[in-house]
Amino acid sequence: MLTGAEILLESLSARGVDTLFGYPGGQIMPVYDKLYDYSDKLRHILVRHEQGAIHAAQGYARIKHAPGVAIVTSGPGATNVITGIADALIDSTPVVVIAGQVASTALGTDAFQETDFIGLTTPITKWSYQIRRPEDVAWAVARAFHIAGTGRPGPVVLDFTKDAQVGQALYEDVKCDFIRSYVPVPEVDDKLIAQAAEMIGKASRPFVVFGQGVLLSGAEKELAAFLDKGDIPAGSTLLGLSALSSDNPHYAGMLGMHGNLAPNTLTQHCDLLIAVGMRFDDRVTGTVATYAKQAKVIHIDIDASELGKIVPVELGIHGDAREVLSRITAAMKPSVRDSWMKKVVSECKAIEKDKVSDPEINPAEGPVRPGEVIARVAEVCGGDAVIVTDVGQNQMLAARYSRFCKSRSFISSGGLGTMGFGLPAAIGAKIADPSRKVCLFVGDGGLQMTIQELGTVMQDSVGVKIILLNNNWLGNVRQWQELFFGKRYSFTRMMNPDFAAVAAGYGITTVNVEKRDDLAPAIDRMFSDDAPFILNVHVKEEDNVFPMIPPGKSVDKVMLNNKDWFEYGE
Amino acid sequence: MENDSLYEITVYTENQVGLLSTIAGMFTRRSLNIDRLVVYPSGIEGVHKFKIATRTSASMARAVVLQLEKKVDVIKAFYEIDDERSSREAAEVRNFLSMRERQKQ
Repeated sequence: MLTGAEILLESLSARGVDTLFGYPGGQIMPVYDKLYDYSDKLRHILVRHEQGAIHAAQGYARIKHAPGVAIVTSGPGATNVITGIADALIDSTPVVVIAGQVASTALGTDAFQETDFIGLTTPITKWSYQIRRPEDVAWAVARAFHIAGTGRPGPVVLDFTKDAQVGQALYEDVKCDFIRSYVPVPEVDDKLIAQAAEMIGKASRPFVVFGQGVLLSGAEKELAAFLDKGDIPAGSTLLGLSALSSDNPHYAGMLGMHGNLAPNTLTQHCDLLIAVGMRFDDRVTGTVATYAKQAKVIHIDIDASELGKIVPVELGIHGDAREVLSRITAAMKPSVRDSWMKKVVSECKAIEKDKVSDPEINPAEGPVRPGEVIARVAEVCGGDAVIVTDVGQNQMLAARYSRFCKSRSFISSGGLGTMGFGLPAAIGAKIADPSRKVCLFVGDGGLQMTIQELGTVMQDSVGVKIILLNNNWLGNVRQWQELFFGKRYSFTRMMNPDFAAVAAGYGITTVNVEKRDDLAPAIDRMFSDDAPFILNVHVKEEDNVFPMIPPGKSVDKVMLNNKDWFEYGE
Repeated sequence: MENDSLYEITVYTENQVGLLSTIAGMFTRRSLNIDRLVVYPSGIEGVHKFKIATRTSASMARAVVLQLEKKVDVIKAFYEIDDERSSREAAEVRNFLSMRERQKQ
């Protein structure tokens, strides 16, 4: 006989879990007590706030391609992970959250640190379950991992009552790879594959838009082979970045509000739009009313509810990206497309380089621009590093100016846009793969939302490289205030601490950069070892991210800067 | 704009605690008023059946059904226009009430 707490830890080990991100507290203490005896099997990372645990588990999951695990106590411990659960749901990140709960006999009595955690998290989890008996622990853990990691991945909550933790039961590992009401990988009819191949064969200007589904299904090679055989250009969503190498000849760039001109233009000029593992977020589509209206649409997604949700489709294929892409590739004839699309891509790239990228990454004078910091880091890392971002201008610029040659190299909070995500996610990513460089781009606002996790960096010597793009503003909101709210800068100016002094308190080396000439040597110093490091760059204070598709506009009407607009053909 | 109709959404589920609030939440999230809700054993062993009537558009009814089916413990969900039957029923009720009104006088 084992206690429920021991069965939990045995079941986690049986699932291959070796790392937990957590924070102890009253109602999870029986689990922590047993965890003390499992330290050879399960590494526990003590975070400084439960939000750090869930974001670290997310960063870990994105690198490992397996569920990350966060473990917290009831009440405030549980409510503190809610932001991360919502983030993981919208960004399809597999995480399993184990939360303590008051004894089942005390449920509903307003006991100390009792909250209805299942009730609170039902709308933002893929599945949630309250474990009230030790006999149910092995079953619930097996089911939780199966659900979190398969199909369209997502967060699962296990609410673990204290009496189930201390009660005893016989332990036998339970396997779970089948739930009759849940079909993670649907079968795809040959007819749909043939229809897709035919539509692609007939199209003269097909264009692929792909998202994180390519990474989640492991379809990177299949995507590249599909683009090669069909001679089709492709654009990536924010979360699809790194699924295709930045120098792939078919890669046209990033889609959406702050994306590249070429893919946004092709969206509005293609005759067939092939969407793979993406969900037409409003940051990608701009106004849906004018989005790709000229094109037929094929949408491939593992989530049936995404097909036709935003953009009407001629052909919806409910299936796994890897399988569907390889079958379509096999079924279609090799093509060589007319050069029109290639001409559009090269013209757009030239205009963007001249009007936007060059002034951002190679400014001759003036304050340091954030883009040049990112471009320099990309150059030094050679596209090999894991790039983690926070949310805001730092995120958009890091997405624009980073380069990727390895899959699963970009970690960002896309759908929820969670400021404070970056630092803990970078910690999780570095712990998941210590052999890779992990570079976090973060603003002064976002860093201060979870700055307490510098304590985790210190305690576990997590060698993250924190590149602080410090402009003393909440830059993205400031940009919107400048452009759309009549320059009324309502509460976006930030008075910041001496970050180097804060970091020194945690024993973390910081280099402050004010001048352009100091940037390259500071970056070289940062990468001279694998220790935690903060590069605090004082960047241009009132800077805007361009290009920009203003809200409510069509994706081919793009602001290049404060006065120039771009629309292809003009 | 699409026209709204009264839709009856039928959901077959596993017998799991908490599904009622999960399902109700899918309607609340879209500000869909639940006009009618019935829950009963489906006749298939271990399978429960929810019948929910709501006034909405065809595309919204379809979206709700697809997102309901996404829930792990939901087996199948369907939608159909309920207008005709419901207006017939409403007419019957109105007739009944007006008959009672006459009887009172």
